[in-house]
Amino acid sequence: MQRSQTILQRTLSTPVILIAILAIVALAALIVGTGPFNQTVIEIFIRIVLVVGLYVFIGNSGVISFGHIGFTCLGAYMTAWLTILPAMKKSKLKGLPDIILNAKLHYGWGLLAATIFAGLCAYIIGKVLMRLSGIAASIATFAVLAVIIQVYSNWDSVTGAQSSVVGIPIVRTVWPYFACAVLVVIVAYSYSISRSGLALRSARDEAIAASASGVDITRERLIAFVISGAMMGLGGALYAHSVGVVTPDTFYLNLTFICLSMLVVGGMNSLSGAVLGVVILSSIIQLLRWFEKGVDFGGSIVALPLGVQEIAIGVVMIVILMFRPSGLTRNKELSWPHWPFKQLPAGRSRAPTG
Amino acid sequence: MGNALSAQQVSVAFDGLKALSNVTLSVPRGEVTGLIGPNGAGKTTFVNVLTGFQQPDHGRVLLDGEDVGHLKPHLMRRRGIARTFQSGRLFAELSVLDNFEVTGVGLGLSRREAAEKAEAMLDWIGISSLAERTAGGLPYTDERRVAIGRALMLEPKYLLLDEPAAGMSAEEAADLVRLIRRIATDVGCGVLLIEHNIGLVLSICSHIHVLDSGEVIEDGPPSAIKASERVRHAYMGTQADAEGEIL
Ligand SMILES: Nc1ncnc2c1ncn2[C@@H]1O[C@H](COP(=O)(O)OP(=O)(O)OP(=O)(O)O)[C@@H](O)[C@H]1O
Ligand SMILES: [Mg+2]
Repeated sequence: MQRSQTILQRTLSTPVILIAILAIVALAALIVGTGPFNQTVIEIFIRIVLVVGLYVFIGNSGVISFGHIGFTCLGAYMTAWLTILPAMKKSKLKGLPDIILNAKLHYGWGLLAATIFAGLCAYIIGKVLMRLSGIAASIATFAVLAVIIQVYSNWDSVTGAQSSVVGIPIVRTVWPYFACAVLVVIVAYSYSISRSGLALRSARDEAIAASASGVDITRERLIAFVISGAMMGLGGALYAHSVGVVTPDTFYLNLTFICLSMLVVGGMNSLSGAVLGVVILSSIIQLLRWFEKGVDFGGSIVALPLGVQEIAIGVVMIVILMFRPSGLTRNKELSWPHWPFKQLPAGRSRAPTG
Repeated sequence: MGNALSAQQVSVAFDGLKALSNVTLSVPRGEVTGLIGPNGAGKTTFVNVLTGFQQPDHGRVLLDGEDVGHLKPHLMRRRGIARTFQSGRLFAELSVLDNFEVTGVGLGLSRREAAEKAEAMLDWIGISSLAERTAGGLPYTDERRVAIGRALMLEPKYLLLDEPAAGMSAEEAADLVRLIRRIATDVGCGVLLIEHNIGLVLSICSHIHVLDSGEVIEDGPPSAIKASERVRHAYMGTQADAEGEIL
């Protein structure tokens, strides 16, 4: 049997479909056109960046990380440092080095710097962490999150400690967010069909056999960790520009929980799972928000109690884990013409059994 | 020692339990060397030592004369030492073709080159029809053949097979014998064959070592092993009569 097509040709439909889904979401914002809805769509794109970032590491390595939101924090503060007006920084963040203190960069540079900075930190942290595996690695990532948040909550002269850092330029159009989400999907897809992606997925299935196949697991894990850390940093910077304010506790357990839930609901081991998980859970969250605010049923306003959002996400996740432990996509990729699912790792349709 | 993978006076102990003591054994290129012994004799531990999964407490591992005993498993593989596992250990969620490709990229090929080599190897083993199957759901015999093919990607110098015929029918075992012969003669690989199927080992190995409780109690050509009272006694134990037929 001759398979003359390359892996790229065989699986290209997956990123195309995913980007089309993102485009539909962006168009919805244009059509509806209201401020709050616009903000909702921006939030979806930011979460796409974050959850796809998580997928790059967790999905390919099989190591659950509870620490990635730490990189989001690093990214958010980095862009804040570079884009806030120097006068404001001089009063509240005087500990910053002069070169940063006097800088007033366009937010595009802020996004770039945040991405690079988070990637660099992921490299340094990953150098140590990627030797660990299994539950030890997961716990260690959680420790990293706790350390980062503690540092940012207490380093008064540089991060303003627990008080909000305000004055970050706010970007209200959806397009930069859309562009970043598309970029992240393309990079994640390219990674997963790359040599490194394949090698890492083999180690996820069978670490011992992978090293017997010449795979340097520590190295491949580190590559994925850096790429995903950089994406998390970008997501943090986008977040900072979407609301104009950052505090360390924004980037702690809540956000970690929501992002991991979205990945699990969608299907941890597939890029399509990451994207669909965000779109579907975000839609549920949005509906619940409306209900929390109160909906007018023929004169009587019915409002759900606050906190229902988190409860609902928890319930959805438990139900999914019970009935579809490998997520809505069953860890497969959306593809054409084998609509709707095909396996990206293999890049081929599922073989008949027997 | 020139063209051989050899262990010299290798000892390994697990919490006082001597899994290997003073084992010296050589696997020459182009030949099939047998390693037999009862359950728990230390055969798998020995393969682990030769492939970097287990550091020996004493002794050396020499690859074509060079000491490689300290290398990590993936580096051993890159030097040309391949192995299979008693339990298969295929990459369950990947296709059979991708299982092969992993070895290609692990050894430095691009994905495209790895895919080409993988297809050639599938063809060589005679399992091209399995290429797109997910490895996780394969029947036992196919799983074994995929494991051997994956190990054989990019012509290793040495191949260590840990009980490749376990669970096979006589017919399937005969196929496997043909495959192993081709690996030694056509590829020029040095093969170390661990098997409980004594008939199979006697039929293809040029030299056989018998391990019992971590010690090599006998080694020599098949005829010498067949004739050895010590082997009959130690290895067959109470089953001497039943196994005698095979011998
Ligand atoms: N990692 C380990 N820790 C502790 N003991 C071990 C370990 N690996 C092997 N052993 C012990 O070492 C001895 C040799 O085991 P080994 O697996 O090498 O035997 P074997 O000859 O391959 O047996 P089998 O035919 O059942 O595969 C056994 O007593 C086993 O219990
Ligand atoms: Mg064994």
